[in-house]
Amino acid sequence: MDRLVLLLPLLPLVSALLTQLLGARLQRRVSRISVVGGALTFLLASLLLVSLIGDAPTARYAVGENWGSILFDPLSVLMSALIAGISLLVRIYSVRYMVEENGYGRFFVLLDLMSASLIIMVAAGDLITLLIAWHLVGVLLYFLLGHETRSHSAYRYGFWTFITYRFGDLPLVLAAAVLFQTFHSWSLPDIFAALAANPDVETFFGLRVVEVVGGLIALAAFARSAQFLLHTWLPYTMEGPTPVSALMHAGIVNAGGFLINRFAPLYIHTDAVLHLVLLVGLVTAVIGSVLMLGQNDVKKALGYSTMGQMGFMIMECGVGAFSLAIFHLIAHGLFKGTLFLNAGSVIGQARQDDGIPKDELYRFIVERRPTRRRQPWLTMAVLTLAIPVMVLVFSHLAVAPDLFEKQGAIILLFFGWVTGAQLLFATYHMESQNPWRLVLLMVFSFTVVVIGYTLISHAFDRFLFPEPGFADRLYAAAGIDFDWFVVLAVLTSLVIVAGWLRAYWSSRRLHGNEVAGHWWRNFYALSSREFHIPDIYAGAANLLLALSARINVWLRWG
Amino acid sequence: MDPQLLLIGFFLPLFPLSIAVNVLLERMPTPWSRALVLLIWPQIGVFLVAEHIGELPDWIKYWGLATAGLYAFRMLAMREVNHWVGFLATSSWALLWTPVYKGLSLAEIEVLALGFGLPLAIMAVLAGEIAKRYGAAYTGLYGGLAVAMPRLTGLLIVSLFAAIATPVFPAFFAVLHTLVISQPLPAVWLVSIWGTWSWGAARLLQGLIVGPAELPYPEDLGIAMTWFLSLLLAGLAVLGLMYTGRLA
Repeated sequence: MDRLVLLLPLLPLVSALLTQLLGARLQRRVSRISVVGGALTFLLASLLLVSLIGDAPTARYAVGENWGSILFDPLSVLMSALIAGISLLVRIYSVRYMVEENGYGRFFVLLDLMSASLIIMVAAGDLITLLIAWHLVGVLLYFLLGHETRSHSAYRYGFWTFITYRFGDLPLVLAAAVLFQTFHSWSLPDIFAALAANPDVETFFGLRVVEVVGGLIALAAFARSAQFLLHTWLPYTMEGPTPVSALMHAGIVNAGGFLINRFAPLYIHTDAVLHLVLLVGLVTAVIGSVLMLGQNDVKKALGYSTMGQMGFMIMECGVGAFSLAIFHLIAHGLFKGTLFLNAGSVIGQARQDDGIPKDELYRFIVERRPTRRRQPWLTMAVLTLAIPVMVLVFSHLAVAPDLFEKQGAIILLFFGWVTGAQLLFATYHMESQNPWRLVLLMVFSFTVVVIGYTLISHAFDRFLFPEPGFADRLYAAAGIDFDWFVVLAVLTSLVIVAGWLRAYWSSRRLHGNEVAGHWWRNFYALSSREFHIPDIYAGAANLLLALSARINVWLRWG
Repeated sequence: MDPQLLLIGFFLPLFPLSIAVNVLLERMPTPWSRALVLLIWPQIGVFLVAEHIGELPDWIKYWGLATAGLYAFRMLAMREVNHWVGFLATSSWALLWTPVYKGLSLAEIEVLALGFGLPLAIMAVLAGEIAKRYGAAYTGLYGGLAVAMPRLTGLLIVSLFAAIATPVFPAFFAVLHTLVISQPLPAVWLVSIWGTWSWGAARLLQGLIVGPAELPYPEDLGIAMTWFLSLLLAGLAVLGLMYTGRLA
């Protein structure tokens, strides 16, 4: 049964070949081949996933001697099922959506090839296969984004994506070279076994292999998952066809989180790399969210929303919650894919009828009437800070009491705390006629989300890293000195408490602070220009092109 | 300097001796003769290396890497397709100095040279076809090739990506192999060159294939020629999968 994993990438490859060969004869009906191929792939991936949940042993199957191997393990099968599922939905959607476009058959060939490359990427059992698939995903995405060859802008933005992805390929190639030079093997299980036996092995300049390779892999993941300074391509990829946007935001962009997870056996031996990962993820999450809030273009806002989510995903890896990052990327993939595929239809329907029933809930939420007397701000502030903490602590205690021994889990609790507090603050701001009812609804929703998230992440931990103590070692690798951690936790708590108290206190004032208002206007102007980062890149590129042209003139084009 | 080494420097190009091959490519009367030069030139270099008596100096591989970097960088602003092909050829052949220095067998280096040269030769033929129809093979001048000549465009894209060492073509394994036998800093330099090739390739494609095409469309590449070049490229991909040198 588990040998069937070799068929997973083969099915879309055969489908691509048939679509290409029969395209001229079948015309628009050729898409059926792709849909059937996608359905079979999804069915097979689901069967393999079910068999693995039933405790099937993990294995590595090779077509070639040293490369061309596929892993049958929880991560590869879970990710393959996700990719196959999303690819199938995108294909079905594209059957009608792309029907009036040129290159209909070519589009499905590219979709099939992309699906095959993604599956090979997540299931690769050796470095060469991983490099090939990783590289091909970037190339295929370039052509999918530029499917409309008449559109200069689609190709321009596809070009940004391609170049950033190529930039991300290079550190991964270097990491592969370092690993091969050190262990003389391309096989991932062999390399991980050798690393486990000798985690302190050194490479050039006396540096530890795990630190060097961990850093390079993180860099590759940053480029693929649009982390800060390598993010500028993401919001502009909307020029491509909508199904490609859905596939990209739901699947391809998540590859960074996957890659870090694939190398989890390496990261458990690292000292400092995960701290860098946490920092980059944190900055990306904040900047992505800030830029999203400032957008007046819905599609760009969705793009920046993805950037923020990718920041959270990478940050989760940075605190050692690797399996949570996988859950996050699956959840984000599904909801963002739905948003993209549904967006056009919703806009079209909303132009006719907003479709919202004017029932009691609608009147309560939308047609709310301000209460005569607002609740005391201090009471609300205390409640805002206390309720989320209680929900989070009790939920985690119920699911996994030892979770509080992990620094990474505590850092994530801080984010849960701030999110919960934001919910309650929003309630306070809404000035509902019945604020307590609204508060209760929000607390209930928050509790359901937290319990669900905690339960699922715990289950993912056990599924992806069944080896006893492995997940704990990941948290330990991401940890810092305990005393420093306590100091930082206390300081962060104080900042959060002070911040919310000030937010509540300020909300009672009728007029804003002029100086602050001026500062915020400047900040808004800066964020609306995306902090000039794309301008800086464009300027640097133009400078290099001018220098290249100048050298050509000097050397008389010879 | 060793005169024999100097001679090899023309064929496995080292700047400024590399100017010779670019001038030669420019002066070739037909696309097919240009393609022939692209196939044979590095093979002569490999043959001369085999004939060379004595050890190669250490600095030669660094000079090769510097030449490869220079021509990769110059590709970025190059808009004439034949010149562009010449620059990429110079850049990729100059990289062969690393495997030569590391003592790879003659047969292995010949395959690496062929892996770089064959897609470039196909590109030279296609550039000739474009020039025949538009008067010049020049990026950023007319565009819209994808609409006007889909068969030629498809082949151009695949051969271009094969030439810039995209998997699963042999050039990919050649670069990977060179990387694996390189020291850390040359390895970083090498991947930078590789990235620059991609930048140059994307710029070239954008100026040629993208955009609306002017009517009437020129005649597309003939079916027989398309099949011939497609089979060559497919054979190249199979060669890449079958022969990966000492990587596997």
